[in-house]
Amino acid sequence: MSDRLGLLAMSGKSLIPKYLLQLLNNLFEIERKLIIQGDPANALRNVGRIKEALEQEGLFYEDPMGQDFAETRTDVEASITGSSTDNLKIVEVIKPIIRAGVPSNSLVIQKGIVVVQTKSEGAI
Amino acid sequence: MPSTINFGIDLGTSNSLIAKYSNGTVEVFKNPNGFKETLPSVVGFRNDRILIGDQARTYLQRDPKSVASRFKRKMGTTETFKIKAIAASKTPVELSALILKELKSFVHTGENFEDVVITIPASFDTVQSNATKEAGALAGFKNVILLQEPIAASLAFANKDKGADLKNSQWLVYDLGGGTFDVALVRIIEGELTVIDHEGDNFLGGSDFDAAIIEKLLVPELQKRGRFADLLAQMHSDSGKYNKLWHTLLPLAEAAKVELSTKTSAEIDLGTVSDLKDDDGNSIDSIITLSRSEFEQVIRDPVETTIDRMKRILTRNAIEPRDLKFILVVGGSTFIPYVRKRVEELMGIPVNAGIDPTNAICIGAAYYAGTKLKQVIRTTSPVASKLIVRASFSKVSQDSEETFTAKIEGDVTDLSYRITSGDGSFDSGLKTLASRIVEDLPLRQAAFNEFHLKVFDKQGSPVPIDLGPIQIAQGKYSVVGQMLPDDLSLVKDDLVAKDTRLELLFRKNGVLPAEAKKVVEVSKTIVLGSDDSIRIMVVEGPATRHSSTNKPIGVLSISGKQISKDLFKGTEIDLTFDMSESRDLTVSAFLNGTGQQFSQVFTPKQREVSPQLLASEILHLEEKVQAEFDDATATGDERTAAELGKVLNGVQDLIGMAADLSQDDVTDKKYQLEDRKRKLAQDVHELTSGKRLSMVRVAYEEAKRETADLVMKSGNDREKHQFAEIVSREKSFVNSNSPDKIQIVVDELFRIGFGILMRTPDFLKNIFASLVDRRASMNDEVLASQLIDSGKRAVASDDVEALRTINGRLINLLPAADQASDEMRAFTGII
Repeated sequence: MSDRLGLLAMSGKSLIPKYLLQLLNNLFEIERKLIIQGDPANALRNVGRIKEALEQEGLFYEDPMGQDFAETRTDVEASITGSSTDNLKIVEVIKPIIRAGVPSNSLVIQKGIVVVQTKSEGAI
Repeated sequence: MPSTINFGIDLGTSNSLIAKYSNGTVEVFKNPNGFKETLPSVVGFRNDRILIGDQARTYLQRDPKSVASRFKRKMGTTETFKIKAIAASKTPVELSALILKELKSFVHTGENFEDVVITIPASFDTVQSNATKEAGALAGFKNVILLQEPIAASLAFANKDKGADLKNSQWLVYDLGGGTFDVALVRIIEGELTVIDHEGDNFLGGSDFDAAIIEKLLVPELQKRGRFADLLAQMHSDSGKYNKLWHTLLPLAEAAKVELSTKTSAEIDLGTVSDLKDDDGNSIDSIITLSRSEFEQVIRDPVETTIDRMKRILTRNAIEPRDLKFILVVGGSTFIPYVRKRVEELMGIPVNAGIDPTNAICIGAAYYAGTKLKQVIRTTSPVASKLIVRASFSKVSQDSEETFTAKIEGDVTDLSYRITSGDGSFDSGLKTLASRIVEDLPLRQAAFNEFHLKVFDKQGSPVPIDLGPIQIAQGKYSVVGQMLPDDLSLVKDDLVAKDTRLELLFRKNGVLPAEAKKVVEVSKTIVLGSDDSIRIMVVEGPATRHSSTNKPIGVLSISGKQISKDLFKGTEIDLTFDMSESRDLTVSAFLNGTGQQFSQVFTPKQREVSPQLLASEILHLEEKVQAEFDDATATGDERTAAELGKVLNGVQDLIGMAADLSQDDVTDKKYQLEDRKRKLAQDVHELTSGKRLSMVRVAYEEAKRETADLVMKSGNDREKHQFAEIVSREKSFVNSNSPDKIQIVVDELFRIGFGILMRTPDFLKNIFASLVDRRASMNDEVLASQLIDSGKRAVASDDVEALRTINGRLINLLPAADQASDEMRAFTGII
């Protein structure tokens, strides 16, 4: 673990300035919109560059769309749509999971905010 | 050893908190998972686990038979909560005890505390109060002191505003939280804060406002934009077509509500929702703007109800608003300006919002706890014998899950356990401990996973076990089963130091396969058709060393003959490095300047050594050793000089041998030479590290002094903060044995200082003056004259911005050597 991660582990999210979290959340939204609506000018490349710059500082986000959700999973705050509570997976991501550190060794700094649904009904 | 209780707990209907008083201040503890101060007062039972807080809240609506909430309001009654999942009932006391136990785990100071202050609503009678004490006892507290919430809030205020004179006054405490509303009349009687009267509403709070935003503002707006047969019903129903949209809108509505507290309009952006369509399948505009006045309309009625309740208390006690000192507001919903405004308008007296409404009650409880002495006599409790845990799991896995099993030796009666991950992504919840436990642990791909097993007794106190952290590395390894034996770095030019430096790509012991990306800048223009080239070199060895001491893995050369047009200095190259499981390295370069892509694969079996590169590296090394030798001799360090002399001879021999190598040598000779060069470079590195270390330490002290001076005189807040931050870290790098670590800090200090100087008029004027002195040597006389004239005017009018620009342009007119643009010295061509 780098020094920075150690410091974070001890005092929690208070060391990450709010504006950086806002930056990452908005970057995630930009990325999602470009993917959904199309990207004729290859703005995704610039998004990728910003992500890399932040990753160098030990900050990155993850999009958990489509992943399984279990009651033991605490890196997201979920609300359940549909009537079943079993076999859930993530069907909407409102805020991504933000982690600090390097991909192979990191800490959850912001829990993702997601909507989950049982796999047998609803959207794939 | 503190003899006061110090710990205070706000056991709320919707949320609970815990804080500690210490030396005049209060710290509200955060949940180690998620770092929030508030713990939702929700307990869930699923699959043999007890989930507490956010984890349980997820299932509150969908699994109401197995998730309990709002049990505070049932305290002291005989009502129980039937829990389907465990086919048993739980009392409100038992559920509250679980919340209290969970709050205990927020305390990171390592102490075991048995006395606590817990807050209760003003409306609680004796039976309800006793139930609260019972919950505390179940949670392991031997001494529970109760405190009424309005008093707690008042104490938080009194401690914040120490100058407030509250003698002989009375005031209202208005508490509008997430799910409940309470108002109380507080008076000082015989020096004691006392609740005289109170009113409340158990089903009115901020969460109602969120739903109201959706129902009254968003739904009508969506219905204007598309065709919806039955939008609201379809949103509310579990199996409704738009139920997912309801859940998506809730957090967005809450965020908008919060934003409207500081702005007069907020936007809800549904642009990231992938399937925002109406009944006919048409897309709808995804941005909805809400105005503060619209929101205020929506919450008008519920807020009026709260005002009515306040008026009732006044009437009942024959008091006029002017008889009150102020109205203290607590509860998250009192952030809403409209709430405060209405209260002020109708009461005609000021609202006091000086305390943080979300944790005021908890903070007040802690202050109170700081004035109460502990009562528990420390009996030497028998030291719980450590449980022996025989755990079984793989330390290395290629799967997405690892089954953890353990045999427990010892008495497991009434004990429970919990496994959490170090990164905050997994929590097994509380489970009953048996002599054998099994748990599936989800693993993060290509990462180091760490879990912790904790055991608790009936009261939620930790039981010691002899098991360290559970560490599992996930990732695919090569067939041979090796990880990266050492750091892998990219070599870049360091134009200032006239040398090269390493930039880490992959860390030692890293898990494979792995990918690294870097963007670099071209440091010298490569002309189309020339023999000039840039070299993308990757070396293996500690990243803190130097390219000459490390082993070359491969070089991707791109020459003027390969490019499609001139590759200009300053353009960017996107580099991707892909390391396969078998340690094959693919280096790809995309030249933004020409639009070309180059790529090459380097296998570990086949080391690339280019004789030409080797020869120039050896020459470079020779210069370096000569310089160090001269320096050691000059400073009288005979021993080092002698050793360096030997190294110098060795290098000079190599020069001869390298000269004999032909460009396309196929023998092993070049590898041998390369090995010897590396060994000699390492020797120099060792011999001079001591010297470099003391030199750079001195440089640091100097830089610190100079920068301190500048920062103090003319630094802005950010620079002051940066400087203070560096100095606070001093011990960690000054005492390290890495000159490079210290050098990085010296460079940082220099940058801060330089930034300040560049704003300082005198500094810029001096530079200008020295440039004027050198006008004769400048390349473009006419332009130089013009710039100098403008510069003089800028100096006269103290125009810092203009002077900075003019200085820059004058510098560009100086002959190439003075610009310190070491294009000739560039080694790799990339920075």
